[in-house]
Amino acid sequence: MTILWSVLILAGLGLLFGTALVLFGVLFHVQEDERIKEVEKLLPNYNCGACGYAGCHQMAENLVSGKEPMVSKCKPGKKDKNYDPIIAYLSTHPDPDGTVHVPK
Amino acid sequence: MILNYLAAFVMAIISYALIDNVILSRFYGICSFIGVGNKVKSSLCMGAAVSFVIVMAAAICYPLYNFLLVPAGVAFLDTIAAILVIACLVMVVGLVMKKFLPALYQSLGIYLPLITTNCAVLGVVSENIASNLDFGMAMANAVGTSLGFTLVIFLYACIRVRLEASSTPKAFKGIPIALVVASLMAMAFMGLQGIGA
Repeated sequence: MTILWSVLILAGLGLLFGTALVLFGVLFHVQEDERIKEVEKLLPNYNCGACGYAGCHQMAENLVSGKEPMVSKCKPGKKDKNYDPIIAYLSTHPDPDGTVHVPK
Repeated sequence: MILNYLAAFVMAIISYALIDNVILSRFYGICSFIGVGNKVKSSLCMGAAVSFVIVMAAAICYPLYNFLLVPAGVAFLDTIAAILVIACLVMVVGLVMKKFLPALYQSLGIYLPLITTNCAVLGVVSENIASNLDFGMAMANAVGTSLGFTLVIFLYACIRVRLEASSTPKAFKGIPIALVVASLMAMAFMGLQGIGA
C-alpha cells in the first residue's frame, strides 16, 4: 500500500507541476532568434560553464550576437564536431540586417 | 486570544529575521550570498526571488504535507515532494523574469536556477515540518527567513561595493576579504541572540 501511494502521489504531483510549467512556458514565451537554438544544438550541451557563461544556451546567444568572438572558449568542444559546424552555420546565416558574425 | 497569536506571529517574524538569521546564524543559502552579494541591485533582486520562492514553497508544502502525505501514510516523502515544489516554483520565477526582466535574468545568470538547491528554501520547509508548526507559524518562519535573507544579502552587497573602492591588501582582494566581512557580520548578528530570552 505504501509503495502504491508513494508512486501515485509523486506521479500525480509530477504530472500537475509538469502541466503547470508547460502552461507557464506557453504563457511567458519569449521570441528568440532561431539561430540561437541551432547553434546550441551544435554545442556539446554539457552545460559545464567552462566558457564562462551560465550554460550552452547563453554561450550560443553570445556567439550569434557576435559578443563572443571565440568559439574555442567552449572547452569540451571538438574542432570537427562543434567548432567547424558552428563557424560554417554562422557564416551562412547573417543577421537580419546582413551583418555576419563569424567566430574563430 | 487572537491578539496573543498576532503578537506571537510578529515576534516569530522578528526572531527568524534577525535573531536566528538564516544566513548568519543558521548558515543556510551561503552560495548565493557570496555569489550575488557583490552588486546592490542584483542582491536585492536575488533577495526578492528567493523570498518569493520561500514563501510560496512554505505555503504549498504545508497543505501538501498535512493533508496529502500524512493521511496517505507516506510522510517520509516530504523532502522529495518539497524539492518538486521548489524546482517548479524556481522554473516559474525564471520564466517570468526572462519575459519581463531580461537584463536581470542575464545578470543573475546561473544563480537563478540555483535557487532550487538553495538550502534556505528547503531548510524553511523541513523546519516547519520537523517542529510541527501550525500554518500561521510556518508562514511567520517563511516571511521572517526571507526578510532576513534579503536584509543580510543587501547589507553585504553594500559593504562589498565599498570594499571594492578601498585599497585592501593584495592577498585579501576579492573573495577573501568578502569572507572576512561575512564572519564579522555573523558576529554582529550573534550579539542579538540574547534578546529573545
